Amino acid sequence: MKILVAVKMVTDPNVKVRALTDGTGPDLASVKMAMNPFDEIAVEEAVRLKEAGLATEIVAVSIGPAKASDTLRTALAMGADRGILIRADQAVEPLAVAKLLRAVADEEAPDLVLTGKQAIDDDSNQTGQMLAALLGWGQATFASRVKLGDGTLEVTREVDGGLQTIGLSLPAVVTADLRLNEPRYASLPNIMKAKKKPIAEKSPADYGVSLEPRLRVIRVEEPPTRQAGIKVGSAAELVQRLHNEAGVL
Amino acid sequence: MIHADDGSLSEEQRLMRDSCRSYIDDVVTPFIRANWQREWDMTPGERLSPEILQGAEQIGVRTLGVPEEFGGIDLDRESEVRTFALISEEIARGDSGLSDKLVQNWKVSILLREFAPKHLQAKWFPRLLEDPQFLLAHCLTEPRGASDRWLPYNVPEASMNTRAVLDGDHWVINGRKQFISNGYDASLYVVYANTNPKVGMLQGTSSFLVPRDTPGFTVTKCNETMGCRFMNNGELVFEDCRIPADHLLVKDQAMGSAGQYFRAGKIIQAAKNLGVGVACFERTADYVQNYVQGGRILIKHQAVAIRLADMATRIEAVRALVERASKAVDENHPDADILCNMAKVYASEEIMKVATHALELHGGNGAMLEFGIEKLFRDAAIFLHMDATVDVSNMKIIKNMFPKTAGKYAGPEE
Ligand SMILES: Cc1cc2nc3c(=O)[nH]c(=O)nc-3n(C[C@H](O)[C@H](O)[C@H](O)COP(=O)(O)OP(=O)(O)OC[C@H]3O[C@@H](n4cnc5c(N)ncnc54)[C@H](O)[C@@H]3O)c2cc1C
Ligand SMILES: Cc1cc2nc3c(=O)[nH]c(=O)nc-3n(C[C@H](O)[C@H](O)[C@H](O)COP(=O)(O)OP(=O)(O)OC[C@H]3O[C@@H](n4cnc5c(N)ncnc54)[C@H](O)[C@@H]3O)c2cc1C
Repeated sequence: MKILVAVKMVTDPNVKVRALTDGTGPDLASVKMAMNPFDEIAVEEAVRLKEAGLATEIVAVSIGPAKASDTLRTALAMGADRGILIRADQAVEPLAVAKLLRAVADEEAPDLVLTGKQAIDDDSNQTGQMLAALLGWGQATFASRVKLGDGTLEVTREVDGGLQTIGLSLPAVVTADLRLNEPRYASLPNIMKAKKKPIAEKSPADYGVSLEPRLRVIRVEEPPTRQAGIKVGSAAELVQRLHNEAGVL
Repeated sequence: MIHADDGSLSEEQRLMRDSCRSYIDDVVTPFIRANWQREWDMTPGERLSPEILQGAEQIGVRTLGVPEEFGGIDLDRESEVRTFALISEEIARGDSGLSDKLVQNWKVSILLREFAPKHLQAKWFPRLLEDPQFLLAHCLTEPRGASDRWLPYNVPEASMNTRAVLDGDHWVINGRKQFISNGYDASLYVVYANTNPKVGMLQGTSSFLVPRDTPGFTVTKCNETMGCRFMNNGELVFEDCRIPADHLLVKDQAMGSAGQYFRAGKIIQAAKNLGVGVACFERTADYVQNYVQGGRILIKHQAVAIRLADMATRIEAVRALVERASKAVDENHPDADILCNMAKVYASEEIMKVATHALELHGGNGAMLEFGIEKLFRDAAIFLHMDATVDVSNMKIIKNMFPKTAGKYAGPEE
């Protein structure tokens, strides 16, 4: 069984991102980048399926700038077998990503596509769903448990107010939620070994997909900074201020 | 700034650094902060939880230096020391003692891969790889002192007191070693001993492989140190300790021509202290941007701001020198010896100043054990003495630059 995993390079989740002063976007110059945390979980799940003898090959795909090869290399160090980097220097919207992934899926014919449920930069939460629709495959989003059967898949999903378990037939698209697994660190020896694994470089044009944006970013601004708190002298003053100043009473 | 410039690193180096940083930030730093009392546990084995070394295992940082043919990892040799430096710094950012503990393994593995006979490599490397708690130690220093052999004073009376004599197919070692990193809990030791009392130590010192369970070899105590307390430093005694003849690593030249294999150790250690400096800066930058005095966060007081600038500048200067020196060692440059002593001295003195700023900028909190800043100060201070003192390192620099005139042995006390 072959698994395709999509991995996106995003700003490191530990970095505090600031908006550009002209409001055209976030300031990403010299900001540390990392693999989208939900994609790490997707890679980990694929690697576990392979370690359990249920999958035979894992192909990692990333769409992004040249530097996204670091993200692919991390996936290879975690245990993916080879990588495909589709070079795109501008921001790519979920629909274009889904179209590119469909083209890769057409070529690679995987039995399962694993992605993160969303990327922590634009928080779109659309790619997996769009991809499943484009491919005409079943989809299981927000997966917290994946059980592979013979040509079938049982997925537990985190939905509002509880867990839902659904059955799908393969091929299918699954998007990973936070509790699916705890991803491993890429170990130093595996990073050295990953150096020898191949990464094929492609362009969107190779797949006949246009990256023409359909959305226009009007303005990006930082959330208002929180005002410092104040100490009040008495309960009476607190009530009075909540009433008069905060307007919540 | 402050951290290594990504552009100067290879893709693998970047990924290794990132992986190591995640381990430090997720596992090591939270442990050290939450368990600060454990540093003072007087049962050495109780200080560091075994999960820390198991975590080190997951990212594979305990066994760098072990060749691939024995199940280890082959770093690019042209940039191996640079990579060691990068990883050592990153670990020390979380805990300097942990870095010490692990880097002894790398230093000694390099010696074993160069000098140990293949059958002993095939015996010990797999054991090292198998057991997450397996540590190595490098034993030069004796109660009579270490400076003479670092310089070294190449006269018979300055030689080591620990002696090894060949008796049939065994070497018999007698003597003591002190201040040995990992000495308390290592499983395998590289030990230096005099094998020719008639000549200077460059011609008459040999190195041996000594397994911990060898009869006649005893670990007598764990030294309670001021810093790097999560590494257990030990004292060792050899009493008619017999080791098989094939456990001789380098005959007579262990401090002479084979001494060039100590260079990587100096770089790794300097980089370790750099990591302490980076931790000082990160913690302080965070503190002064949140803590208020005089109605303003501390950083808005110019007296505070310029101290922070001074910390950053010193860190960058140390980094530049460590990088240059590590490159020189990787390239076997003729100035490599001088540069790695410079890196060691500079990293010890400058990071001490960085740690002093950190201590002061934290006000009273800086002096409190639970705050973890005074620990950085202690970890920086102990490095002044490790791998040669500041003065002896400086003399070594000048001795190397002016071999004909500087650093001649003054002779024994009248
Ligand atoms: C935490 C720690 C870990 C260590 N780990 C190891 C280890 O793993 N293996 C190992 O072999 N050793 C180890 N050591 C020993 C270390 O290398 C020595 O402590 C160090 O080199 C200083 O030697 P010494 O303690 O004998 O001091 P001394 O040599 O007695 O020095 C005392 C003072 O005299 C000065 N001095 C000495 N000779 C001269 C001279 N000729 N001219 C001018 N000044 C001089 C020194 O600079 C110093 O200020 C460790 C030490 C520490 C503190
Ligand atoms: C061992 C010990 C014993 C103590 N005993 C007592 C005691 O018995 N009684 C008691 O009342 N207190 C005691 N203290 C508290 C001590 O007086 C304070 O810790 C000390 O004055 C520093 O104040 P702080 O901790 O609030 O640091 P901060 O005032 O927060 O200082 C942090 C840093 O900011 C700098 N800074 C602050 N304001 C400015 C400014 N306007 N411009 C430029 N730089 C500035 C400081 O120089 C320092 O580097 C003790 C402290 C210790 C460590």
